[in-house]
Amino acid sequence: MRYHLIAIATLLHVAPVDSASAADGRGIAITGAQIYTLSEAGRIENGVLLVRDGRIEAVSAELSVPEGYEVIDAAGRIVTPGLIESYSSLGLVEISGERTTVDSAVAEYPSGASFDVRYALNPAAVALAVNRRDGVTRAVTVPRPGNDPFAGWGALIRLGGEPMLVQPELGMFAAVGAAVSAYVGGSRAAVIQRVRRGLTLAASYNPNRYQPGPGDFSHQDLAALRRFRNSDAPLVVGVDRANEIREVVSLADDFDLDLIVVGGAEAWQEADLLARRSVAVVVNVLANLPSSYERLGARHDNATLLQAAGVRVLLTAAESQNARKIRQMAGNAVAHGMPWEAALAAMTREAATAWGMEKGAGTLSEGAPADLVIWTGDPLELTEWAEAVMIDGAWQDMSSRQTRLFDRYEDPADPDRAYR
Amino acid sequence: MSRSVGIRFLVLFAAISLTGSVAARQPYESTYEPRPAESVLIRGATVLTGTGNRLDNADVHLSGGLIMAVGVDLPIDNARVVDAEGRWLTPGIIDVHSHLGNYPAPGIASTSDGNEMTGPNASHVWAEHSVWPQDPQFPLALAGGVTTLQILPGSGNLFGGRGVTLKNVPAVTVQDMKFPGAKQSLKMACGENPKMSYGPRNQKPATRMGNIAGFRAAWAKARHALDKEEARVAKAEAAEENGEDSDSDEPDVPPARDLGVETLVGVLKGEIMVHNHCYRADEMAWMMDVAAEFGYRITAFHHAVESYKIADRLAEAEICSAMWADWWGFKLEAFDTVTQNVALVDQAGACAIVHSDSATGIQHLNQEAAKAMAAARRQGMAVDEARAISWITLNAARALEIDDRTGSIEVGKAADVVLWSGNPFSVYTRADQVYVDGFPYYDRQAGKRPVTDFELEQTVSGGGE
Repeated sequence: MRYHLIAIATLLHVAPVDSASAADGRGIAITGAQIYTLSEAGRIENGVLLVRDGRIEAVSAELSVPEGYEVIDAAGRIVTPGLIESYSSLGLVEISGERTTVDSAVAEYPSGASFDVRYALNPAAVALAVNRRDGVTRAVTVPRPGNDPFAGWGALIRLGGEPMLVQPELGMFAAVGAAVSAYVGGSRAAVIQRVRRGLTLAASYNPNRYQPGPGDFSHQDLAALRRFRNSDAPLVVGVDRANEIREVVSLADDFDLDLIVVGGAEAWQEADLLARRSVAVVVNVLANLPSSYERLGARHDNATLLQAAGVRVLLTAAESQNARKIRQMAGNAVAHGMPWEAALAAMTREAATAWGMEKGAGTLSEGAPADLVIWTGDPLELTEWAEAVMIDGAWQDMSSRQTRLFDRYEDPADPDRAYR
Repeated sequence: MSRSVGIRFLVLFAAISLTGSVAARQPYESTYEPRPAESVLIRGATVLTGTGNRLDNADVHLSGGLIMAVGVDLPIDNARVVDAEGRWLTPGIIDVHSHLGNYPAPGIASTSDGNEMTGPNASHVWAEHSVWPQDPQFPLALAGGVTTLQILPGSGNLFGGRGVTLKNVPAVTVQDMKFPGAKQSLKMACGENPKMSYGPRNQKPATRMGNIAGFRAAWAKARHALDKEEARVAKAEAAEENGEDSDSDEPDVPPARDLGVETLVGVLKGEIMVHNHCYRADEMAWMMDVAAEFGYRITAFHHAVESYKIADRLAEAEICSAMWADWWGFKLEAFDTVTQNVALVDQAGACAIVHSDSATGIQHLNQEAAKAMAAARRQGMAVDEARAISWITLNAARALEIDDRTGSIEVGKAADVVLWSGNPFSVYTRADQVYVDGFPYYDRQAGKRPVTDFELEQTVSGGGE
């Protein structure tokens, strides 16, 4: 393995490192970088960031490095919070075309709200390291729509450290529209009705009295929905068409639920409504195609228009194995008019807030979990890259199966590659 | 080499039916006409030529549909001057792997026309017959700087059919988009797709060895047909030379046409290119053996995720690789992606191309090239913008065998160019103006973009451009 940057060499004595260093109480100081705190402190030039016990201890331009801290000289570099992918299958899918490695949906069994992804999370999934080395530190990993409009419970994971499960029952995921309408006979109206019926039945669900008819909610699904209704978790709904977005907002109002919209191709048309009701929207910025009759209003600046209207925008790369593309989403949002810091916030602070992560998560502020990335330059530019990644105070291994393959084949004539 | 019987018939048919027309158009040929374009002088741009050069503060003169001059302080003459200070100019982007029009948006069953999955050898079908010119994805690709694209049949079959190279211009018919004189291609697919499409139906092929056997059987049949036809023609010609009358009892009726065999024979005669979907290095090596056995040339491997494993051999065989920057993991044969694939292939001296195979990806091939370039730099490889732009311009033109006409900014080439708002390898940069044969089909500042019929009163034209 070779490194061409002098800077990474200075980082290296810490980097691939002994990820226990932070846990054993030794502090780390990152100096000289331009630090985007995503907090009230804003951007700090030539700042000092102290990490101890897995947390940000302090961040400021005026700090001196305490005795015994390991110093990382990050002059000329940019430091941001770790990136958060808001809608992925990380840990649930190894090869999306190989069914035996896909655990993100139940498609041939009538299980809906009670499905819970947490039991399939695989910390050995190759995609974790691939995406981690590009700065993705946390992800919302979700049940994909199967048969029922309710898909089940999603979870928050981290891409390094054990356990990978950070928060189960992060939200109750659902989808409306044509993709799931077959389950209820073919009409979008029936989908909305079923979602409403499930939430209604859940309120009064009594396992001793409820007797499901054919096609009705199962006991375990109603139990899950009752549990959901008694929780603070948001309802997370995949919905694209404007009129259906209005229906879903109305439904969330009626049941007094926090709502997060996923996809939202035509959400820009309802931006004021979404802002007023504090509905966050998870956007795939590059999904500008009128690729279905629910997405005829898709456009490149959907996220931009939403953000400008005051809607909390979150980002997804929308590819199970390629959460790393989230930077490209943010960059394209900026190319289409979103302020740069808002785009960065959409994959850090705003995501942490919307998904109910702990206080300070998604920022570099005192007491926040120490998830951070040291970048060669502007993290939204595809020509820059992550030099070092920290999760909960621990430097992460920057190799992956892909870098191992590169090392084998960098020299086309290497007769010993099978031993590398 | 003699022309095929089929073509002879067509010529005859055309001559009779189009009364008296000398340069009669043959059926299915291009009817594309470049639009008359005013003379344009693009001044003070950073020019990436596509040939590996970067010219700072350069002028490029477009006139008569061609690049007339490239230099510094060119005279204005009567040209319309475009101030390009701070902006970058590149050749028009070329995507060698697209399904626009075959899988148009919205993606519904009634327009899903990209894969003739009724048998593993669909060499008789032509992708152009499925292209819907009103696909709203065409103008979106144009807004991403794409001036030329190859539409290929899908990969569910061993032989998917013929692909076609199109100009990305608004048109009512596909013939009006066809790149004049560009060869058709034969789409072949190895690996998982064919065997997993047919095996479960208890049809051939069900295995990778079944794939190869299916290829060989078809090529053997085509080779035999060509041998027979050449022998028949040679015999007839010899008879004519010797002044022998043809046997009056048995008029010389050519054999019944077999449209699939005609396609493969076209490849054997060098009239049709082979574009071969193939992910794995070991399978590419087998395909090269099949090509050697039957005497045809593979122009490019597509989705060539493992080209980096045999880049030196691909260089030696002069086979292009069309690759993604970072897409991976969606099936096992796409699991060994390295993001340096493109740069490693390029470094080995082989023809490296970034392709999309995606109606989304085609809109930002410049960003895909940027990712491939950055991944290489991250591992210490030296790749600059002037080199990386060739992955989506001149090398792509090579793989379509149109590099004598487009793909680079050189005097005499077609005026297919993109004026970018800045460095096209920056994520913040967007295409400002896109010219095809010198005509500005897209001008962002002027709000000028084609709108398909489909979009009227239905979509946000231009996806919010």
